[in-house]
Amino acid sequence: MMTQLLLFNVTNGLIIGAFYVLMALGLSLILNLSNVINFAHGGFLVIGGYIAYTITPYVGFWGALLLAPLLTAIIGLAVERVLIRPLYGRDPLYSLLLTFGLAFMIEDGTRFIWGPQGKPVTIPPFLAQPLSNELFFITGYRLFMVAVVMIAVALLFLLLRYTRLGVRIRAGTLDLETVAALGINVRMLRSLNFAVGIFLAGLSGVLAAGQLGLEPTMGTGLLMPSFIAIIVGGIGSLPGTLVGGLLIGVASGVTAVFFPAASEAVIYVMMAVILLTRPRGLFGEEGMMS
Amino acid sequence: MNVLEINNVTKRFGNLVAVRDVSLSVAPGELCAIIGPNGAGKTTFFNLISGYFPPTAGSIIFDGQDITRLATHERVVRGMARTFQITEIFPELTVFENVRIAAEVSSGYRLRPWINRTEAAQVHEHVEETLKLVGLETKTDRLVGELAHGDQRAAEIAMALALKPHLLLLDEPTAGMGDQETYQITQLIRRLHRDSNYTIVLIEHDMRVVFHLADRICVLDQGKMLAQGTPQEIAANETVQAAYLGYAA
Amino acid sequence: MNAEQIRKLIVLMAIWAALLLAPYWMAPLGGYTALATRVLVLGLAAMSLNFLLGFTGVLSFGHAAYFGLGAYGAGLTLKFLALSTPLALVAGMLLGGICGAILGLLIVRRRGVYFAMVTIAFGQVFYYIAFQWSSLTGGDDGLRGFSRQPIDFGLFKLDILTNANNFYYFVLFCFALAVGAMGFILRSPFGRTMIAIRENERRSRFLGIPVERHIWIAFTLSCFFMGLAGALYALVNNFADPRGLHYSQSGDFVMMAVMGGMRSFWGPLLGATVFVVLQDYLSSVTVNWMSFVGLLFVLVVLFFPRGLLGFFQRSKA
Repeated sequence: MMTQLLLFNVTNGLIIGAFYVLMALGLSLILNLSNVINFAHGGFLVIGGYIAYTITPYVGFWGALLLAPLLTAIIGLAVERVLIRPLYGRDPLYSLLLTFGLAFMIEDGTRFIWGPQGKPVTIPPFLAQPLSNELFFITGYRLFMVAVVMIAVALLFLLLRYTRLGVRIRAGTLDLETVAALGINVRMLRSLNFAVGIFLAGLSGVLAAGQLGLEPTMGTGLLMPSFIAIIVGGIGSLPGTLVGGLLIGVASGVTAVFFPAASEAVIYVMMAVILLTRPRGLFGEEGMMS
Repeated sequence: MNVLEINNVTKRFGNLVAVRDVSLSVAPGELCAIIGPNGAGKTTFFNLISGYFPPTAGSIIFDGQDITRLATHERVVRGMARTFQITEIFPELTVFENVRIAAEVSSGYRLRPWINRTEAAQVHEHVEETLKLVGLETKTDRLVGELAHGDQRAAEIAMALALKPHLLLLDEPTAGMGDQETYQITQLIRRLHRDSNYTIVLIEHDMRVVFHLADRICVLDQGKMLAQGTPQEIAANETVQAAYLGYAA
Repeated sequence: MNAEQIRKLIVLMAIWAALLLAPYWMAPLGGYTALATRVLVLGLAAMSLNFLLGFTGVLSFGHAAYFGLGAYGAGLTLKFLALSTPLALVAGMLLGGICGAILGLLIVRRRGVYFAMVTIAFGQVFYYIAFQWSSLTGGDDGLRGFSRQPIDFGLFKLDILTNANNFYYFVLFCFALAVGAMGFILRSPFGRTMIAIRENERRSRFLGIPVERHIWIAFTLSCFFMGLAGALYALVNNFADPRGLHYSQSGDFVMMAVMGGMRSFWGPLLGATVFVVLQDYLSSVTVNWMSFVGLLFVLVVLFFPRGLLGFFQRSKA
């Protein structure tokens, strides 16, 4: 009985962790290249979810899964071009404040456009079935979510490793000046990088809609864990963010077995532990701190 | 007792050896110039002396005390002052305010929430004297960021002097300067050395300046000390001649 | 005294005159004393934050945590410990300050965005605790069941509970003490090292300033002031709100400082005034006031980053 409970919670934790990973990776991408903490990331998640809701009647579930993140990314591109680009090179305080205000605007904006009530989201019935009676907690949809996350993460790492864009992003993260000196259009690089990050946020939104339901404040609860995933995994390291997200998800899930009330607190405790023992994070590099 | 003794220091960054087994002794009142091509490890060497990072191997003795593992600000407090290739000043404060901060630190006031009138007056006088020494006494209320390059460097040197240092480390003091400003700064350094007896170690690329000022010259190449000696000895040294003296102005 | 000093003195006197006479000139303008009290307290919070942000150059975005801690400290003291307003204020201040001191130790080696992220995350820890520990803190509903107590001066009691003007002047008094202390510190040799660190951290280090230690001290001091502001705020409403610990509250404080002018001593007070008045007005006029506040953030950052008082090129405390 105990093992089943543990299994339940670890699996739960992994599923939650997968979510954190998707969000945190997008946040991390933007942070690493452009030194911008995107407070509005949760907002883009919400936009992704709502767009999916809006276009599903026309393109179906699968169409929405592909198109909604894309549309969200395009919005993100516009936002980056108009609002964030003027702030590069300035004190990071300003981009922080701007994305902060943006988050407010997005939350209220979605409330304005779609109404404050939560919206029902339908998922294809075959996904809603649990896997089996024993493993009742693994519904098809949850597995599907994890699968999508895995595919997205894999595609991301492939993009970063093998495409020209990806290589430039990685190089830019390490030394943007040199990249610029090599004649690469850094502005475009930042824009595309931002768009990729927002795509991931939008995708999270589509998935979350199916799992948690849709409402304007759904993004805010995922922002803090994403931060902590990055801190724990190590700023500047995407694999670190991946591991960090999974770790805090699992820790959260497992803690729920023994101390249900503390399952949220445990991720903060983990952050404190990391800051005390290995401040650069699990995979962080020395000197990535400023 | 030597002001500075550097014993076999090496600095490795991963696989790159920036400074390799370098030793140097500086006697009180001496002016030692470090020269060498770009990438020879001169600035890394300076960074080791001033405590920007610790050496991979070797030791550094300052005024008879081992400071190898000491943090930067501790070295400063013990009497080591440094200027930078790209002038590091407080651009939006006046010349007076810039030097005052250094003066207050050297008087031990850095944590004080309050100083009395006498102490404030002493600091004031200290600052004025230092500014007179570098020739900036007419510009005390100008914002340092607005000064000409040469004056900015003089202000930086004034800040270093206000710390009452036993050792002055000057990193390419004439970098980016035209002839007039180079002359100005060279004369200043000469005054500090000859008249005020400061012990100075400097990095320089401009050979006229080096030969004009130095008691001793050290040549670094690829992290190693190639040669050390008086200007005459270095000028006559064939290895050095072949490699380096050709490139300077 | 030269012309500049005279000018500064006049400005200072004008500010204090406005503050002292606020209950009298506000009414004809459609304001009311309690609003002034609120602005004063939030202004103090913004100035406390700016002590760190504007004068030391440190990007702390989770500072509302110490504000909230001050509020809860005061509230809990009044509710469970003793019916004494001064004690509540001291307790709030200490709670905020001591937590700041401890957390500061953990984070002073970081800079820039990393520092900001960690301060935000730590701030959220306190928010979370306030929310969860509902038996002590009242959880989501906040801490209630306490009220500001009349102050006993021996010969007479100052009723600050029912008399809004009395309370305003009491808050102004505390404000004056805090602000006076801040100004005093900024003008001292230590204060100058703070400004030096902001201007050029590397140069400061190479002048013998132990940068991390000084940042920690500045951080701790600002947390003490912040705790005092929070404690006063709890007294304003006789209520301590967990939302006061949330990072959105931190964002508000930063915005007040930026809007008023980070490099100016009094800037944040002005910023707080504008912000509070605007927010009050917007929330009474439209349901979507949140978008407008967000828009305000965006506009200020893009077009007005130096703030209202930022036209002065340099700051002198």
